[in-house]
Amino acid sequence: MLGRIAAIAGNAFREAVRDRVLYNLVLFVLLLTGAAIFIGELSGGQERKIIVDLGLSAMLLFGVFIAIFVGVGLVYKEIERRTIYAIFSKPVGRGEFIVGKYLGLCLTLLVNVVLMGAGVSLALIYVSRGWDPLALSIWPAILLIYFELMILTGVALLFSSFSSPALSALLTFFVFIIGHFSSDLKNLATSLGSTAARMFFKVIYYLLPNLASYSFITPAAHGQTPTTTSIFAAVLYALLYVVVILATTTLVFSRRNFK
Amino acid sequence: MNTAIKNTRSSGPGQSARTLVLIFVIIAGMSGVVSMARWLDSHRSKPDPSVEGERLYLAGQTVRRLSLAFNGLVADWYWMRALQYVGGKVLSAPAHVPLENLGQLDLRLLAPFLDTATTLDPQFMEAYEYAAIVLPEVDLLEAIRITKKGIAANPSAWRLYHHLGYIYWRQGDFQTAAEAYGQGAVLPGTPRWMEAMKARMATEGGSRDLAREIYKRIYNEPGDSTVKEMAERHLMQLDSLDQREAIRRVLTLYQSKAGRCPSSWRETEPVLRSLRLPMDSTGAPLDPAGTAYVLVNGNCDVDIDPTSLVPRK
Repeated sequence: MLGRIAAIAGNAFREAVRDRVLYNLVLFVLLLTGAAIFIGELSGGQERKIIVDLGLSAMLLFGVFIAIFVGVGLVYKEIERRTIYAIFSKPVGRGEFIVGKYLGLCLTLLVNVVLMGAGVSLALIYVSRGWDPLALSIWPAILLIYFELMILTGVALLFSSFSSPALSALLTFFVFIIGHFSSDLKNLATSLGSTAARMFFKVIYYLLPNLASYSFITPAAHGQTPTTTSIFAAVLYALLYVVVILATTTLVFSRRNFK
Repeated sequence: MNTAIKNTRSSGPGQSARTLVLIFVIIAGMSGVVSMARWLDSHRSKPDPSVEGERLYLAGQTVRRLSLAFNGLVADWYWMRALQYVGGKVLSAPAHVPLENLGQLDLRLLAPFLDTATTLDPQFMEAYEYAAIVLPEVDLLEAIRITKKGIAANPSAWRLYHHLGYIYWRQGDFQTAAEAYGQGAVLPGTPRWMEAMKARMATEGGSRDLAREIYKRIYNEPGDSTVKEMAERHLMQLDSLDQREAIRRVLTLYQSKAGRCPSSWRETEPVLRSLRLPMDSTGAPLDPAGTAYVLVNGNCDVDIDPTSLVPRK
């Protein structure tokens, strides 16, 4: 089973590379180079902070776009090109297919995030004219960004398993936005008078991913790092959420008829 | 299928001519676009000052919510907008306006910019420093409010107490300034001079030595270069005040001995040299910015040259 998942994941990764998804790195490098050279004149001596803010925000934004736009096409393209029939004519389970596709995109995102992280570190070393402790201390924040992207990829895959790519992309983007408002949802749930409304918002709060826990870009720009406990909790939450979402996707996908 | 390939990838003289025509269209089109853009720029009506200085539409907290995970980046944007806003106003002013005299410019958006930047990123120390040192000339109450907001968000940051004390000291409220320095002095990791500053603020609040100490501290802090330049100008001003007092004593002594004021610096040169004041080739003493002092009031008094970088007040 693991061999089959690995083969599908490898294929999904190769397909993403063939689709020139990693070309966004060129844009990222241009952005960082431009920032490293020009931002010093505009920032009043805050170029290090701005490079971290800009670099990690771009990493998250590009990652979100990849997760959404590539994620929603993972299953849909196979159905549209009818290659899914060839895949399922072989001894490949629907769950294996979903997990394989998911891991393939996660691998693409990992390569993307690691290269971008290295780019930010190098830009920091460049503007500091030597070693900069920020070049190392930003990596826990990068790890959190990666796990946020893992969750979003799962969400995109779930929506794409039963809806069109455009609608899936829109819904996933909404989840990304609402996920960052999760604390407001919780406050709303506690402040409402009606029990039914309270319950409703509480359910929504727990159902949608709490992406605010993965926002550590701003403190990272000040050289702060999250505690080991909070990183561990965030990673565990992401893994559990991904397991739930992949199980749901498999469940939905298993009911689709490809005969 | 083959026809389609032929249609799309034909080669030969026809294809080359088409390519040339397309290149010509691109170049001619771009020239037209650039010309039109320049014409539009030159004929654009001047922005309405009332619209330009309109209040920010979104409150800091709202921007913070809307910025999702990108609040640090948006804070940087507001910070740079604040710097550009001040820089733009200074450049458009008819005469050079030093940072410590910004009150004469209409900088009504500076406080909202800094407030939004610090709401988006509550640990943005440089923005608090800018608010404490530059903003009091424009909006004193907002400067105090933003600095206190910074203290509430970063209760262990002793520098913010130093900034708050500076604001009160500039207003001549030495007692409140001493309290601010005292509150900061008890925090762990605070340098000892904060405690000394508290004591000196209470006893010699208006003294020149204390002012020199404060500006030296500001100058040595990591932060915005314009703030450092402002501190440097104040230090030059304080040194110049000391120098001018010494020169006045020399001039008074000369007058009492010779019964008249000196006709030029050359006559007082030996005495001024004994004071170890820097001088130029004419024997005129130089101010801390390197410009020669001038004799005024019938050569009986000394003043800064109008072109000098040393601030007058």
